[in-house]
Amino acid sequence: MSITPWQLGNVPGPKTALKLTGEVAGKLLKKAKNPLIIVGAEALKVKVGEKLLLDYVIEIAEVAKIPIVATSSTLSAFLERGVEPALSMGAIEITDRLRDPEWSLDGSKPHDIVVYVGITYQLQSQLLSCLKNFAPQIRTLSLDRYYHPNATWSFQNLSEKDWIENLNILMKTLKEEKKKD
Amino acid sequence: MVEKGPIKFSVKSLKGSGISLEDIEIAIGRLAMEEEWEPMGPTPMPKITTLREWDMKLLKRYRPFYMPFCDLCCLCTYGKCDLTAGKRGACGLDIGAQQGRIVLIACAIGASTHTSHARHLVDHLIEKYGENWPIDLGSDIYVEMPISRLITGIKPKTLGDLSYILKYVEEQIVQTLAAAHTGQEGSYLDFESKSLHLGMLDHLAMEVADVAQIITYNFPKGKPDAPLTEVGMGLADTTKPVILCIGHNVSSGVEIIDFMKKNGLGRPGETIEVLGLCCTAHDLTRYDEQAKIVGPISHQIRFIRSGAADVLILDEQCIHIMVLSEAQRVKTPVIATSDKACHGLPDMTNKPVEEIVDALVSGKYPGVLILDLEKAGAVAVLTALRIAPIRKKFKSLPDKADLKKVAEKCTKCGRCRRNCPIDLPTDEAVFAARQGNFDKLAELYDYCLGCARCESECPRDIPIHSLIVSAAELKIKTERYKIRVGRGPILDTEIREVGSPIVFGEIPGVVAYVGCANYPEGGRDVAIMAEEFLRRRFIVTVSGCSAMSIAMYRTEEGKTLYEEYSGAFDAGGLVNVGSCVANAHIAGAAIKIANIFARRPLRANYEEIADYVLNRVGACGVAWGAMSQKAASIATGFNRLGVPVIVGPQGAKYRRLYLGRREDRESFTVYDARTGDRVWVGPAPEHLVYVAETREEAIVMTAKLCLRPNDTTKGRMIKLTHYVELYKKYYRRLPDDLHMFIRTEADIPITFKGEIMEYLKEVGWEPWEKPVVDPTLLERLIRVKK
Repeated sequence: MSITPWQLGNVPGPKTALKLTGEVAGKLLKKAKNPLIIVGAEALKVKVGEKLLLDYVIEIAEVAKIPIVATSSTLSAFLERGVEPALSMGAIEITDRLRDPEWSLDGSKPHDIVVYVGITYQLQSQLLSCLKNFAPQIRTLSLDRYYHPNATWSFQNLSEKDWIENLNILMKTLKEEKKKD
Repeated sequence: MVEKGPIKFSVKSLKGSGISLEDIEIAIGRLAMEEEWEPMGPTPMPKITTLREWDMKLLKRYRPFYMPFCDLCCLCTYGKCDLTAGKRGACGLDIGAQQGRIVLIACAIGASTHTSHARHLVDHLIEKYGENWPIDLGSDIYVEMPISRLITGIKPKTLGDLSYILKYVEEQIVQTLAAAHTGQEGSYLDFESKSLHLGMLDHLAMEVADVAQIITYNFPKGKPDAPLTEVGMGLADTTKPVILCIGHNVSSGVEIIDFMKKNGLGRPGETIEVLGLCCTAHDLTRYDEQAKIVGPISHQIRFIRSGAADVLILDEQCIHIMVLSEAQRVKTPVIATSDKACHGLPDMTNKPVEEIVDALVSGKYPGVLILDLEKAGAVAVLTALRIAPIRKKFKSLPDKADLKKVAEKCTKCGRCRRNCPIDLPTDEAVFAARQGNFDKLAELYDYCLGCARCESECPRDIPIHSLIVSAAELKIKTERYKIRVGRGPILDTEIREVGSPIVFGEIPGVVAYVGCANYPEGGRDVAIMAEEFLRRRFIVTVSGCSAMSIAMYRTEEGKTLYEEYSGAFDAGGLVNVGSCVANAHIAGAAIKIANIFARRPLRANYEEIADYVLNRVGACGVAWGAMSQKAASIATGFNRLGVPVIVGPQGAKYRRLYLGRREDRESFTVYDARTGDRVWVGPAPEHLVYVAETREEAIVMTAKLCLRPNDTTKGRMIKLTHYVELYKKYYRRLPDDLHMFIRTEADIPITFKGEIMEYLKEVGWEPWEKPVVDPTLLERLIRVKK
């Protein structure tokens, strides 16, 4: 059975996201040459078990050594935690730059995988649509609980319990892969 | 040789078989009779491509950023065509151009809607008052219609002139929309140029509509101290018959009030309550402040279900399509009055008043179409008087005591939430009600858009929207706030006072909160944003649903912002211009600053004025809940004029933004008109249309988008003080683009001087070689060419 978008009317066209699991996400991030995580303001509201989504994402980024872009007012939450994001920029502005095949945070090699997490569903869907259509060099992952058809890979619509489980597997995979290295 | 516009032209020499003519000047039509109030500018009544060069200058700096809402094209029988990621449709169009095309269509719908509204008003008013009815906005307004003068070159004097201007708009919309046909335009940039053209036309139509109603209905003519009136669900005196007007065209509502006065029924509220919903409400109170405003579009279904209204009058725009069936549920008769919104009702225009009233009171027809507005007004009043005692405010909302029982049907399938435009957790709230907890439902009231989409998706037919409204019963009963009546235009005298401080930056900005109520987290956000800038002594202008939402919030002093702040167009003023079409006065104020304060020629001089506004007038629009095609065309019209607009996260569904890139120095390079030098002026304003993810981001971006290259040192310092303070308030440190706005040390906000100097040292900042220039994008304005 095909996966339905979280917002049921949000049917973009024939090309829709592949189903993501925690394990696949971990492997993709580990193999990525120059990944990036974009964290939005919902990460300050949504909980992953006892933790805020933001704290969980910080952990993922630290384990996988992935730079973070803090959108909107999430910057202050990062700074409060003593974490310096690689960049603070509007979700729209960073997505605009990612359209350029040559652009990257440090000006070296372009980003190949970009993770979106914690950006309100409707806006995130549109941002992912932009990259799907205008940045074929980039593969996108959504780590939110809800299926985003415009991503390259997205979790399907998950219960909170299943979502946490997948995120834990993602973390475990990152750590395991790290050990193997 | 054709010169200056489509109507007036001259021929140097014409030779043909047997004839030889020289220096002929021919003028055809209305322009030939136009008084020479100012030398004619370069672009009277511009056609689709007349201002294309200006558009391309804007689009080079502010590149279209597309976020397809749909990867397909289904506009012709070749399709559906999948355009994903660079594929071309059968016609050859790619996804970028398709987005431009869809935006063009949206802008055409928006512009057509305002134009049609204006046409309906102007024709009706000419019939009533005659085409020679003068345009008189009082002695404090000399430049009565700045947009009309700027675009058409006409200084309109009568209602008849307004009809003439509309003919131009109507013709241009048709021409421009034709570009969207299969096999016409193919470049995304040209689609955008056409959208900008439509946006400009939209502003012209709005100005015509609002001025027509101001001069004939004697609305406030720019009165800063326009009276306060009321807004809210809890304000109707339901012991009296209640008439509710829904839509945007006030003519039918005016006829109701006039009929009441003529027949000894007094003013609104005396024997009959006259209420409005959406923009027609603003205009009813401009006509008579004793009329009342129920609220923005979100209040439509909930108020009808409350049963308070004994008669509904529909005019045009923003009418919920289920309004007729909703009204039937509470036995409220409906009177449709616009040929654009007939709702399948029988046309009773030519029937006698008594017969129509009988048919409505007896229930023979649930509603009727009456295209004669005077008759519609009479029928509404007489029906309300007769039906009120019979209906006894019959409602279709469940009693609070029944909520649990109704909610028990919920299986928490989640379809309500997954179809809610803003993803409200309705499923959790209904499920909690099933267990006897109604708090979650009541909490949703402040956020709910009132579309009732949740109900049409519920497989168990639970009236979810009604549950929300019933749970919030107490809140609704006390929903009663003060709002200032829409004042219309900005006075020329006010422009003379504030022109200089705005242009030099000492008044840090003009912020306009406009547009619909598709808010991501409730209307309170708009009020909080407005309050932030009012406290900072910006000029805040408002209109439409946003103006109502701002009223529905009380400050710590327990007052609404309208009670706390003056209605003057001055620092710290909260200026409600009125309904959607009154947005024209906000654009008009920017134009008047260029004309009255800076003495730039106005007549048919669009490029120069827009160039002035872009580089000098620190104005920014915020359409936090923009939803409609009209909002798209309004925003695009502001963009062509050089005014940036911020939309809320839902605005991403418009598919297209205009984004600058601060690091692209070349794109923010202008001419110094005094020398002809090319000079980098920093990214000011950085974007033309921007989506903010949160209220906090919108606030910070608003302050930044008020920066202009022309700011004086003092002005730049003041503007940067606000930008830095807000950035630090929400982001907890200095902005990382600050060095791009500091031209010399004198620009640095005093309160942060030490910290900023340290930052500037870190980033290797050097004072600019040419900190103050006379900025322009137009080569022709260079006074000394190199």
